[in-house]
Amino acid sequence: MLVIRRKAGESVLIGDDIEIEVIDISPTRVKLGIKAPDTIAILRKEIRLTGEQNRQAARGVSAAAIEDFVARLRC
Amino acid sequence: VPIAETEHFGAITYIEDSVIEFPEGIPAFETERRFLLIERESSAPVVFLQSLQRPDLLFLTLPASAIDPSYHGCVPAEDLERLGLPSGRYPEEGSQVLTLALVTVREDRSATANLMAPVIVNLATRRALQSVQPDSGYSVAVRLRGSRQGKEA
Repeated sequence: MLVIRRKAGESVLIGDDIEIEVIDISPTRVKLGIKAPDTIAILRKEIRLTGEQNRQAARGVSAAAIEDFVARLRC
Repeated sequence: VPIAETEHFGAITYIEDSVIEFPEGIPAFETERRFLLIERESSAPVVFLQSLQRPDLLFLTLPASAIDPSYHGCVPAEDLERLGLPSGRYPEEGSQVLTLALVTVREDRSATANLMAPVIVNLATRRALQSVQPDSGYSVAVRLRGSRQGKEA
């Protein structure tokens, strides 16, 4: 992973179209401004993790799996 | 009385007042807006979340407090606002909101629950959302008691 030190107000460029600016820094958070073409999806990573988990959760639900799960929950 | 076709429960009747609305869907299922909360004595404390739009889409959930008795979420103020709840005060579990964790049952029968991103239902309006809380300290795959080989919290 490339690591770059930046101060508030400074930016990095990714390719020709993407700019990420550090707008503000606090002890626990950074505020980022992102300029990118509309075709590029920008997502907080935890949203993607949740989406992947949701997909998996939706997949596993067979009647047998539910029965088995409930039975084990109770023992 | 409306009837919902479901793969797991067959055709079930329901009343419109029991429909849960997710105005923005949930991640990976953004177009699924209407769900039924189904509780059955035979499978308590599991709460089923059945899509009204897709008969095959069913989520198993557990109340967060059933997984971790000391559970306390940290719902971001903007999520409380989206639910139509005052953001200054944390809503009361059971009377104002219901907090449910989506459960994943894997092929090896291990099961995990997503306590990082619980579904929160405003019980007064029956509006709901999945509240993603990266600061909560919980993982998206908290291993459940009685389940083998699940990921650790």
